[in-house]
Amino acid sequence: MGIITVDKCDHLFWLGRYTERVHTTLKYFFKSTDMMIDSDPGFYDEFCRKIGIANVYGTKENFMRAYPFDENDPNSIISNLNKAYDNAIVMRDYIGTETMAYIQLAIDDIHNAERGNAEIPDLMLSIDHILAFWGCVNDIIDNEQIRNIIKLGKGIERLDLYLSLGLPENDIKKEYKRMKQFLVKSKMRYDESIIYTIDSMLSENELNYLNIKNLLRNLIAK
Amino acid sequence: MKDLISNAETINKLLARYGVKFGIYKNGEFKEQLFPFDPIPRIIEHNEYIHLEKGLKQRVNALNCFLSDIYGNKRIVTDGVIPEEFIYSAKGFLTPCDGVAPPKNIYSHISGIDLVQSKDDNWYILEDNLRVPSGASYPMIARELQRRSAPDVFSYNSVVDNRNYADLLKEVMDYVNTGGINVILSPGRYNAAFFEHSYLAEKTGAVLTTGRDIICENDNVYYIDYNGKKQRVGAVYRRISDEYLDPMTFYEESVIGIPHIFEAYKKGNVALLNAPGNGVADDKGIYYFVPKMIRYYLGEDALLMNAPTYLPYYKNDMRYVLDNFDKLVIKDVAEAGGYGVVFGNSLTKEKKEKFITLLKSEPRRFIAQEVIDFYDLNILDETGNKVPRKADLRAFVLTNGDTKVWPSGLTRFSRNPDSFIVNSSQGGGFKDTWVLSR
Repeated sequence: MGIITVDKCDHLFWLGRYTERVHTTLKYFFKSTDMMIDSDPGFYDEFCRKIGIANVYGTKENFMRAYPFDENDPNSIISNLNKAYDNAIVMRDYIGTETMAYIQLAIDDIHNAERGNAEIPDLMLSIDHILAFWGCVNDIIDNEQIRNIIKLGKGIERLDLYLSLGLPENDIKKEYKRMKQFLVKSKMRYDESIIYTIDSMLSENELNYLNIKNLLRNLIAK
Repeated sequence: MKDLISNAETINKLLARYGVKFGIYKNGEFKEQLFPFDPIPRIIEHNEYIHLEKGLKQRVNALNCFLSDIYGNKRIVTDGVIPEEFIYSAKGFLTPCDGVAPPKNIYSHISGIDLVQSKDDNWYILEDNLRVPSGASYPMIARELQRRSAPDVFSYNSVVDNRNYADLLKEVMDYVNTGGINVILSPGRYNAAFFEHSYLAEKTGAVLTTGRDIICENDNVYYIDYNGKKQRVGAVYRRISDEYLDPMTFYEESVIGIPHIFEAYKKGNVALLNAPGNGVADDKGIYYFVPKMIRYYLGEDALLMNAPTYLPYYKNDMRYVLDNFDKLVIKDVAEAGGYGVVFGNSLTKEKKEKFITLLKSEPRRFIAQEVIDFYDLNILDETGNKVPRKADLRAFVLTNGDTKVWPSGLTRFSRNPDSFIVNSSQGGGFKDTWVLSR
């Protein structure tokens, strides 16, 4: 056990990416719904633009319903969580049944929230279970490389989203530094020249978010 | 027992949490379903188990002898015990396996034997599953959860711990391993039993693969890692059917098999569990002959009985089947999973006539059996009341140098009060099976 093949590496990496996508976009969704209460009812349009998805929702109400729950919407929270599950289920022998269970629980939370009366508070439980999943990644998975591939996926996704959302430079620099640690430890093949370029960009006075984002897309060798 | 019943909902929730599901295809669409678990166990007393254990070992030993013989000298045919047309017309007899001996000469490493207990207390064998029998993982994980929810129940009742299945399976893989790692070969995520494949990989420490990362070179099998490094594979617990195993030898359009793996197996460079070609021994037509096999190979009388079975192939049996059609169950030997089963008394006059015409034109295709009046087991219905339902038992027998019976099994039950069909694909549920240590 523990021999990592190209396919398994891919599943672990995308497991990290999808869980992080759900985590960060859910948190941003909560913030956005708050904005839409009184200060900017049309904020969902900016939400879509920032995270780079098409605004197919039309109304605030449709967005509030479809974005978290619609399994036919490939960009929805539940669709991303289902993709995390698809990557987790084929890696049960590497990550363990206990770890995998937290993805299932996060999915159950979303379904329960859809059926319940208090959608947003119920959705918050999903974040708890994603955090528990990451706790298990650290606590249960013995193989360091496996842990680091998942964390690399998580780190790259977080950085990508933080750049898209225009978070402060300090946050970007902090996440980049973390991601780089996992990059080395994951033993995945990557383009070193991209790291040199980003390193030098980070020392500039003003960060070019878009350029960094584009460079990151090609970091991991296909 | 009260504790088990009151925790039933919690256990089912935990099973859902751990992804204890099976997949089915309906209208061309894949869906995952929970396998409903009933908390009331089937209980097998110690002495009864001793008898069952002996009978199951005997049966599996004879079936392994049969497979070795049939892909070897075929003495059982030349000695006239089994007509040769039953061998060669069996769908499971694979010509490429003729003359090929598996590592350590073991054919059926993991055997799933389906039994029922009749109201006269006798156990009857319903069928043998010697290809890719599934189901052990469900009682394994259910027991783990039930022990947590009601620990006293288990110590008070002296229930034999069944959580050693993965160890037994690993022992078998290690025993026949020709040098290299153990892998579990699954058709993939959308297979009905994928939960089991992944769970057994986790518990045995074998590598789970869909074959995409396996290659054969110079008649050896290798697993390729991320850096392109090759690791030799010594044993493949394959959970894909014979015909899909190797497109170079069997079904050439198979995209889930491993090209040339059969060559590596033929040369003795990799063990395949179970051996390809086992289908000839668990054919419903061959089932009739198993008691004769036991006598022929082991010189013993069968300790466990077959359900009374008739082969329309034989004139006398055909006459009996036609005379008693309404009280018999007729099975299509090519079908499995509860499909192709017809209860004589359930057919309309027109359908019966049509069926009899088919039976007469293809007598080798069917067997007929007396309907055994087997014990119902209580299950909890949706309202929490105990109701009786038909249930069978799949016992798992593992063979390495020794033959061992797993002291548990998968008890499947029908949720429909009018049905004898217990298969999960047809809405059945499962129970734990307790073997008592005293």
